[in-house]
Amino acid sequence: MGSPSVGMEEDNGAGHALSDFLLQLENYNPSIPDSVVAYYLNASGFESQDPRLIRLIALASQKFLSDIANDALQHCKMRTSSQMTQSSKNQKGPKEKKYVMTMEDLVPALQEYGITAKKPHYFV
Amino acid sequence: MSENVEKVDSSGDARRRILNIAVSTVLLESGFEAADKMSLETLTEILQCFLTEVGNSARGYCELSGRVEPVLGDIVMALINMGISLQNIEQYAARPNRHVIQPPQQAPPPRT
Repeated sequence: MGSPSVGMEEDNGAGHALSDFLLQLENYNPSIPDSVVAYYLNASGFESQDPRLIRLIALASQKFLSDIANDALQHCKMRTSSQMTQSSKNQKGPKEKKYVMTMEDLVPALQEYGITAKKPHYFV
Repeated sequence: MSENVEKVDSSGDARRRILNIAVSTVLLESGFEAADKMSLETLTEILQCFLTEVGNSARGYCELSGRVEPVLGDIVMALINMGISLQNIEQYAARPNRHVIQPPQQAPPPRT
């Protein structure tokens, strides 16, 4: 950590905030175990002795997924609420809402992140 | 949810199964009750791809500046280059209801 990259000094404070945050990761456990993240990183040639860097990547990936999931949830809520208002004319039973993630909600959410997902022709 | 995952992907390797559980955990935290197999599998693939790509990219930035061991700056550059926002990562790290997946057990070395 003695020689941080040149770019870090320039991005006014964001780099400092992150390096402070890195210190907090010393005793923090992300949801994904370190060993699993380290395996996939090593598979692509990334080898680090510092577990904090691995935890930072694990957190970043979790946050990325969480952002996608939140978007998908909004899609799901909008879709179900429009269906509920249509069906509520027929039956007025207080149905508890259950959100199920389907490709229908996931595909537009991924689209916003620049990921084009298509339903495969076959899926086992 | 996790036993469903076990059933779905019991033939896959152990790490992939843990990624599957991680995706399920994130979905549960964000308010979903269930997920169909195809979207779960898509998100697992995205997660695996994400980790591989960050590793690849960070290694590239590290070697570009003539280092062997990656530093924080390399990872930040890799994430920024991928368009991943690190804005509220501290708040995300401190979210109240987080689950931690148990790391996989390591098999003892075979005795001969």
